[in-house]
This record gives sequence, C-alpha cells and structure tokens, in this order.
Amino acid sequence: MRARTPYKVFRVVALVVVVLALLAPLAWMVAASLKTNVDIYNPDKAVFFSPTWDNYAKVLQQANYVQFIVNSLWVAFAATALSLLLGVPAAYSMSRFSMGRSALVVLMARVIPAVSLLVPWYYVFSNLKMVGGFTVLILSHMFVSLPLIVYIMMGYFDGLPIELEESAMVDGLTPIGAFRRITLPLSTPGIATAGILSFIFSWNNFMFALVLSSAHTKTLPVAIFDFVGYASIDWGGLMAASTVVTLPIMLIALFAQKYVVSGLTAGATKG
Amino acid sequence: MAGATTGTETDVLRQSSVIVTSLAVAAALGLSACGGGDAEGSGSKTVRVTLANHVWTDNLKKALPEFEKQTGLKVEITQLGEDQLSDQYNVKLNAGSSDIDVMMYRPLQEGKLFAKNKYLADLTDKVKSNKDWNWGDFKSGPVQATTYENKVVGVPIITEQEVLYYRKDLLKKAGYTNPPKTLDELKSMAAKIKSQNPGVAGFVARTGKSPAVTQFSSFLYSFGGDFVDSNGKSAVNTPEAKQAYAFYGGLIKDLGPANVSTDMGWPEAMAIFTQGKAAFYTEANSLYKNATDPAKSKVSGTVGFAPFPAGPAGSKPYSIPSWALGVNDASNNKANAWKFIEWATSKQQTLENEKAGVPGGRTSVAEDPAATATYPKDLVEANAEMAKNGVGHDRPLVVKVAEAREIVGQPIVDAITGKDAGASADAANEKFQKFLDDENK
Repeated sequence: MRARTPYKVFRVVALVVVVLALLAPLAWMVAASLKTNVDIYNPDKAVFFSPTWDNYAKVLQQANYVQFIVNSLWVAFAATALSLLLGVPAAYSMSRFSMGRSALVVLMARVIPAVSLLVPWYYVFSNLKMVGGFTVLILSHMFVSLPLIVYIMMGYFDGLPIELEESAMVDGLTPIGAFRRITLPLSTPGIATAGILSFIFSWNNFMFALVLSSAHTKTLPVAIFDFVGYASIDWGGLMAASTVVTLPIMLIALFAQKYVVSGLTAGATKG
Repeated sequence: MAGATTGTETDVLRQSSVIVTSLAVAAALGLSACGGGDAEGSGSKTVRVTLANHVWTDNLKKALPEFEKQTGLKVEITQLGEDQLSDQYNVKLNAGSSDIDVMMYRPLQEGKLFAKNKYLADLTDKVKSNKDWNWGDFKSGPVQATTYENKVVGVPIITEQEVLYYRKDLLKKAGYTNPPKTLDELKSMAAKIKSQNPGVAGFVARTGKSPAVTQFSSFLYSFGGDFVDSNGKSAVNTPEAKQAYAFYGGLIKDLGPANVSTDMGWPEAMAIFTQGKAAFYTEANSLYKNATDPAKSKVSGTVGFAPFPAGPAGSKPYSIPSWALGVNDASNNKANAWKFIEWATSKQQTLENEKAGVPGGRTSVAEDPAATATYPKDLVEANAEMAKNGVGHDRPLVVKVAEAREIVGQPIVDAITGKDAGASADAANEKFQKFLDDENK
C-alpha cells in the first residue's frame, strides 16, 4: 500500500526490539525457575544449563501452592463477579440518565491511594472480626474492581445508540427489558474487557491481601514472599512460584484478548 | 551426643511447667467455654504468632507440635518476609489490633519505634519470674537492645556479628598462610590477589546506600568512630569517620569487582563471592550457610572465616540481636503469649537453633560445644573472639532508622564512586544532625 520500505523495516525492527525487551525478564524468570540456586548466579550458565524440575516440585508440593492458587482464583473470581453484578447496572444508569456526579464519586475511589485506606479498613474489619476471611478480601478487591468496571462500561454504554432501546420499547419492551434483552447482550465484549481487567487487578493485588489475609486465605502475590528469608533467598523457588503465578493470567489474557478484539471489531451496532 | 544431657535437663524443667500450664489452660477453658471458637477472648487457647521467614522459624515449626501437646495451646503462625512483616506491623499495631499476640521484630530496626508507640508489652516482671528459664543467661549486648527505658520489651532470639569471609585457596596461591589481622593487611592482601587473578576482585561488600550501613559500621567502629557521639550529636564527619568512609569506599572502588553497582545488598554481594569472583568479603556471620552450602555456593569447600580485622582502634565488629520476640501490648492473651516465648527461647530451643546455624541469645548455649559442632571451626573461633569486643549496634539507634540509614549511607556510595568522601561526610553530618534534632524535639 502506501507505506514505504524504510518505514516497514523500521517498524519490524522497532517491534522486535520492544518485544525482546518485554520478553527478556519473562524468559529469564522461566529459565531461572529451571535452574539450581548456584547456577542462577552463574553468568556462564545464563542460556545453557541442565534443567531441573525440583523448584516446581517444591512449589507445588512443599509450599502448598495449590491452596494459594485456589485462594487467588476464588477471591479474583468472586470480586469480579460481584463487581460486574453491581457495576454494570450502575454504569448503565449513570450513562443513560446522565448521573455525572455519581460517576465522579465512583472515580474518587480510583483517585484515593489505596494505602491510605488500609489502616481504617483494618481497624473496622478487625472489630467486625472479619480480618483473615475471604469476605474481607473480596470486598477490598471490589474496591478496585468496581470503579474500573463502572468506568469501562459507562464508556461502552455511551457508545451504544439509544435508538436501539427506543425501538425495542416501541416494540413493547419495558426499559428494564430493553436493557436486559437488547443492551446487555450487545455489551458482552465490553463486559468481557471489564471483567478480565478486574480479574487481573485482583489476581495481582498484593497490598490488601498482605494485611487482610491470614495463613489459610493468603493469595499468591503474598505467598511468593515465602521464598525470601532473612538470611537466605531461594531464587529458584521464587522464580518457579512467580512462573506459576504469571502463567494462568497470561493464558487468560491471551485467550480473552482474542475474544475482546473480535467482539470490538464486530461492532455493537449492526445497523 | 552431648546435646542429650541438655535435652533431658530441660525435659525435667518442662515437666514442672507443664503442670503450671495445664492449670492455666484449665482456667482458660473455663473462662472461654461459652466463647466457642472465638479466638479473641481473654486467655484464649490460641496464641497468634507472627514470624519472619528465617531458619529459626523453620526450626520452631518443627518442634511446635510438642509444645502444643504439652500445653494444650494452639499456635497460629503467620509467616512473612521481613519487609512485609514490617508493613503488616505498621498497619495492624497502628490500628491497635489484638490479632497479634507474639511478634518477631528487629530490635535495632524498629524496636525503638515500637517501644515508643507502646506496641510492645512490658515484660520486665515476666522475664524475672522464672528462675529456671533464667533471664541472666541472655547476652548483655542483645538484652540492652531489647530494653527500652529500663523496661524489658523483648527477648533476643537471633544474634549476629560481622566476620571476614575469605577464600583459602586464593590466599594460599598468593603465599599467605593466615587471614589478615588488620585492615591494612586486608587491603594489601586483596590488592595482591586481585593482581594475580584476572577477573577476581580482591574485596567485595555491600554497596547500596542503606544496606551497606550495617556492614560499614564495623569499619567505622574499628577506625574509632561511631554514628552518634556520647553527647548525642551526629559524628559522621569526625576524622575517624571520614577515614572509615574513604577506606571502605576505596576498598570497593580500587579492589572491588569491575563496574561495581552501588545498589548491592547482601544477596548481590554474596553472589559475587559465592561465584568465586572475590577473595574477601565482610558480612554478617548469620549468612554463612549461603557460602558453605554447595547448593548455593561454588566455593563452599574453600571458604574461610576470620574475626573482623583490626583498624586503628582495634577490631570492633558489631554484635547485635537481629531478631527478638515481643508481646503485642494490645493482645488479650498476654499470659499465653509469654508461655510461648518462654518455650521458644528455652535453652533447648536455643540449642536446636544454634545447631542449625542460627546463633541465639543465650551465653550458656553459645559456650556449649554441642551447639557449634556443625559450624566451620574457624567461624566458631571468630565468633567467640568477636563476642568479647563487639559493639551493640550496627546502625544509628534512632526511631526513624530507615531515614537515618539513607543519610549516613550516602558517603559510602560517594566514596565508592570516587567522589570526595570527606566532603560528602560533612554534608551527611549536617543532615544527620538536623535529623537528630527533629527526632529529639
């Protein structure tokens, strides 16, 4: 087409550089997870080494990681599901009935640094004797997910032509029926985007889980630090654990990215 | 095994405490009978303990079922990395939480802050109540660090000193039969070895502004300086301190690894040493297993240990309690919390730890040959030597330790990068004095 060859070459080179820069730490992490501790420090064995599965065995058997994976999955899933349940209708009403101020209040929650909330939260929840349970973790993660979902979905609903709902109502649907049977199915790609982002945020959240979880509700980002000791750091175990944490979320993102992109390109308005 | 005698001895001691404990438990049961699974009530059977990731903690967990069986108490352990532990304490204790009964903390890093904020319960009566447990057996330096305004607020569990790690093979190759006795010898030996072995540094140590402060402190003391003088004034620009900064920085700049980063904590510096890329390394003795364990170190067979070399003021390494156990002042379960501490710091537990390479707080155990049987012999000798002339702190004794470390650590970095260490020390001194003034307001 119109793109000239030098531009094309530049584009390829730039892409390669960026991809390499982004992938190098990941590659290093995976490689290190397959090395013994003494080899990790050895630059001569950076690329060629005899791999070992010991680190993974340690992570999955000794360190009880299956439990932490289940914890993380449960918290991320519950927080996302509940946030979607509350956030999508909220976003719809804010978008359709121009509730600008409410939207601002929700945005505030994104602006306040989460750290500043930790002490009061901890105080309140420990008096309610909820600290250490899943409920409080899910609630705290919803604090991040909910505004995110509301904002993504508001933008999405703004983009959906109101005429679709109007014609649905002309055909005899109630406003709620129009939302449920017309708008909602059309917003699946938006909901998927919001849900996946919220899931990832929750999966990666460290700070809330650090303070609000207990030994048996600990999530993965907190559990990773079990490999860092005062007088010894188990790099192999740490890298294997990090790989275990990263892998599912990368798979989800890859799989979902396809879905999101296809959803977006298909377009919401077919007429 | 010689350890067996000490074991039975403590067993007898324990028998008597079992009776006391079971009485207490019976009382506790009576009190909380209607509470069901409630862990908050006074005299709860569950003791909530927050511990750092450490070999000490691993050892304790192994022995824990025994304690639970004997006392009928349940111990709930939360285990975290040291920084995460600090974060958690800062949130939870600030909120006045009673969720923590026993806390493992760093007396020198956060002890003063915690004590000042009244997070730590006064244990003075408790430590003196049990003669068999014997508070007098604890080393005096560490005890000082866990005492605040004449009140005992913690029991030291892990102590450490700075030693010289060196490579026996490289020294031998250079014609030396003994490790250096003085800092000057260290410098000349390091220079010779560096020139003989391309790619091997003569000396390595921590270079990061904050992490280096503790390991630099022994140099500072051995040159005759300290961070704060006897009048409570900043002393980081005295001639002695300036010399120490220049010496430490110079060692790394001239004899250290090529293109050395000024961001190294112990993991990085230790890695250079254990990959065989340095001849000398000054570091805490508590880390010795990283160098002697073949799974982590390429030089495990050729590592030697020596007392910290003497400077103009003699050999004055730090000798400090890196960790202690305290009771959360807001805990509703202080009696049982103390019971746990009493057990965790008993002679037998201390011995078990000492055998596993974790030096504890008790003199009697440190002197017990059974305790150090597994240690490298030269390390035992070095430790014994240094226990005599050690200094009880390895960083400025202030409330905001992290901030103070950043200030007094700056000249270290400047000296390593070849800037004027003297001028940098003057600047640091002014800043540090201001910091001290603010803190004492």
